[in-house]
Amino acid sequence: MSRSMISVPDRYRSVALAGLLVALAALAGCGPTKVVVEGNFPQPLMEPLPLTLGVWYGEDFANHEFFDEAKGRSESSWLVQTGAAQVQMWDTLLGGMFENLVHMKGPPGPGQMNQVVNAVLIPHVDELQYTIPTQTNVKVYEIWMRYRFELVKVSGEPIAEWTMSAYGKTPTAFLQSDQAAVNLAAVVALRDAGANFATGFTRVPEVQQWLQVRDKQAHRRQQSKPPAAVTNEEVSPL
Amino acid sequence: MNRSLLRFPLLCCALAVGPGCVTSTVDEMTFNEPAAGIGDASVVILGRRHASDYETEPDFIECVGDHIASRDKSIDVIGELEFINALYPWFEPRTAPLRPEDIDRLLLQEPVAEKMAELKTEYMIWIDGSTVRTDSAGSMTCGIGPGGAGCFGFGTWGNDANYEATIWDFTDKAEVGRINTSASGQSYMPAVVVPIPIIAPVQGTACDGIGDQLLEFLSSEF
Repeated sequence: MSRSMISVPDRYRSVALAGLLVALAALAGCGPTKVVVEGNFPQPLMEPLPLTLGVWYGEDFANHEFFDEAKGRSESSWLVQTGAAQVQMWDTLLGGMFENLVHMKGPPGPGQMNQVVNAVLIPHVDELQYTIPTQTNVKVYEIWMRYRFELVKVSGEPIAEWTMSAYGKTPTAFLQSDQAAVNLAAVVALRDAGANFATGFTRVPEVQQWLQVRDKQAHRRQQSKPPAAVTNEEVSPL
Repeated sequence: MNRSLLRFPLLCCALAVGPGCVTSTVDEMTFNEPAAGIGDASVVILGRRHASDYETEPDFIECVGDHIASRDKSIDVIGELEFINALYPWFEPRTAPLRPEDIDRLLLQEPVAEKMAELKTEYMIWIDGSTVRTDSAGSMTCGIGPGGAGCFGFGTWGNDANYEATIWDFTDKAEVGRINTSASGQSYMPAVVVPIPIIAPVQGTACDGIGDQLLEFLSSEF
């Protein structure tokens, strides 16, 4: 019985398949313009800080995207997925900025089994604004992001929290499509975020204070050690 | 048949007209020119991108670099992207040095100093400026039908280019020259069936102007 129900003549099947494909194509045409941000991010050229840094990317951050709904029939909606590029950029940057980079197994907090590190960085994208030529009437794509960083101990106890902005702009003239232009603006914004973080991390007052306390403690440990005993410095979370 | 006969002379006309006219001026002030050239050292040409209302176009920087490298093969011009990637994050728009004295601050970082030594950069040339469209007028209508397609109308627009190159001597950490070039031109696009673009190569002229002056400074052959 069931066999007779699904066996349809070949010509009907091909017509149905063609109809389905046309319908899918029509629906795809109605969807938003999707951009998955892709780029190459260079390693920072700097002396790595002698720290073992853990990093925790939350769901919101690792799958970060923004959606702009079309205001009229002449405009198209935009879906820009930056999550993968964010993770790629921050992994590359932090890997070059710190002696050791560890991806945490879970969010830092009391009772959470995790690796032993000096501190854990948790990045967030708090706000994202952008302009596209249909909004500004000038051929410029711009992306502005505000990041919030939490630097915490493995136990979840806060060390520092600060915000930082990043900006990327690209002219359309050198690009072939709107998607490529938006992608490049996002890549420029991510590079800017990396540059801002790399040059500003040690200048954040709470981070500066934490690093000074660490240095003093390491110095005291060095002095209290007997001169003959030379061991590798252990990773000790403050 | 008649249409194709008409199109042929129009196409020939378009090819024969060539580019529009451009007026260009170059001002130059340089010191301590390397009389024997720069030897096996290298030069990097970078665009300034810290202003909020304009950005020096990457293709203009590439054009100047190509102009120099193609006329004097002994000059090693490092690509802009290659250089800023190799020295990330120190030459991004927000972190790039604005004065020659800032180089000392950069070289305090050992990895940066090592990379600079590896690249053998003797001169760093910063180019600041852009090409803008000044005015436009006219209108053009294009249509397509069973018998073919065509346009009718007239359009015109002007372009202004203004660029300044600042030369930093990397060894002495000093500014050793400034070259300013400005160019302007009017482009036209008459269309009778086929649009005939008469483009004024404003940016290209500015590129040649600044490139020639830089070549005179850097090369022993010019």
